[in-house]
Amino acid sequence: MHIKTVIYYILGYVNVVVEGFFIERFINTCISKRIFLWNTNRNKATIFSANTSISNYREVVKIAKKCQCKIKINKKRGLPFILNKYRKRKLFAITLVVIILAIFTISNFIWNIEISGINEEKQKEILSFINNEGVNVGIYKKKVNIQGLINKIRIAREDIAWIGMEMKGTNLVIKVVEADEKPQIIDKDEWCNIIAKKDGIIAKVEALNGTPIVSEGDTVKKGDILVQGWIEGEHTENRYVHAEGNVMAKVWYSEKEKVYYKQEYENQTGNKEKKYTLNINNFKINLFKTLSKFQNYDTISTIKKLKITSNFYLPVEIIVDEHLEKQKRQANYSKNEAKEIGINNLKNKLNEQIQDEGNISNIYINTSETEDYIEVEVIYEVLENIGTKEKL
Amino acid sequence: MNSRKKHLKNRINKALQMPDEIDFETPKLTILKFEEVLIENYKGILEYQDFFVRIQTFIGIININGFKLTLEEMTSDDLVVKGKIESIDFESIVGNGED
Repeated sequence: MHIKTVIYYILGYVNVVVEGFFIERFINTCISKRIFLWNTNRNKATIFSANTSISNYREVVKIAKKCQCKIKINKKRGLPFILNKYRKRKLFAITLVVIILAIFTISNFIWNIEISGINEEKQKEILSFINNEGVNVGIYKKKVNIQGLINKIRIAREDIAWIGMEMKGTNLVIKVVEADEKPQIIDKDEWCNIIAKKDGIIAKVEALNGTPIVSEGDTVKKGDILVQGWIEGEHTENRYVHAEGNVMAKVWYSEKEKVYYKQEYENQTGNKEKKYTLNINNFKINLFKTLSKFQNYDTISTIKKLKITSNFYLPVEIIVDEHLEKQKRQANYSKNEAKEIGINNLKNKLNEQIQDEGNISNIYINTSETEDYIEVEVIYEVLENIGTKEKL
Repeated sequence: MNSRKKHLKNRINKALQMPDEIDFETPKLTILKFEEVLIENYKGILEYQDFFVRIQTFIGIININGFKLTLEEMTSDDLVVKGKIESIDFESIVGNGED
């Protein structure tokens, strides 16, 4: 019965008020003529109200007249009446149709390519590869041969273990699993030298196989041979081997920096300003034409892709430029402060270069002062294994 | 339908072990809570008020007393009366002696 009322809502129904003395007769005739009445209500002794469908209304009026009852429409409900109400608003209907059609057509194209699982550089590489294959933002969905594309990428790139593509709405989702990079392994059977990968002074040589040709205290440069891959015999000919061993050396890392006593630095005042730009297929529309009201400012641009649902991207982007006002300030440092700042900066830089801070054997700090600035130099002395294998 | 024909029909129904309500002249009442009465095989509505519904069937009249009574799901043989039902009583027009 519930479904019946829903259907009648779509088809349209009227709430009629019947007034008269022969209401029972009216109901009985309606039933016998198979007219569906619902939501009946007897308000007063002579008044009866019920719902009936539009198509039955004429019949109901006839029956009411036969039963000597007055009939009146109380309410009109349902879709046909709503549509009738907006009948004169043709533009509204047209735009509604146009929007629906536009959504249907837009949803047949890809408007966003999302790559996950790898760093940005590789994302760009894969994106350009896909673009070369003809899959751009804005391509017709059915033109994309996903399996073929996956195969091509897997053949072309060796650093990818697995790649999956999926079309979700107007979104092409690419998931990549990177393969671990294989270290260059030289086979045990092959002959090799050990060479230096950095400049330094040799501290210790442990040759397990091969002939060491450097000794403690020697200065070596990058690329010099440390352990030869052959053994010279007095009576026999040279015998080639797979050189193996550790060569520890003192390596120096140094960084220099000038720290001025008087420094200008910029400080953000906290004032913000947002400007919006619409971007439709690289056609940009500035929504705010005025220049920024700040004199000095940083700009942070973020691109937002418009989407209806989480995966239904539209071919429209909004670029938000956020202007952050900044001010120039001056700072005065004393000699000691300047030195501290310099040392801290340099140590941070150096720590990024070396792998293990525990290997640092010495830290040297040199300073030279002038009127305007202090020049700080920090040198790390690090004990490292500098040998790498190289094929003969 | 005269009494002879009725008698024969009753006997056939009994022989075939037909349930009584299959006979379209036998009204069947289904009462759900105290709020809903489904009446099958009825003849017509004699009186319909907010507090009182009188329904004609083939074997008599059903009176339903209550408040805010509404008629629903009206078809030519089913009828649902909804509302706060206080009492239901019957006025039988068929004699008890039916052999």
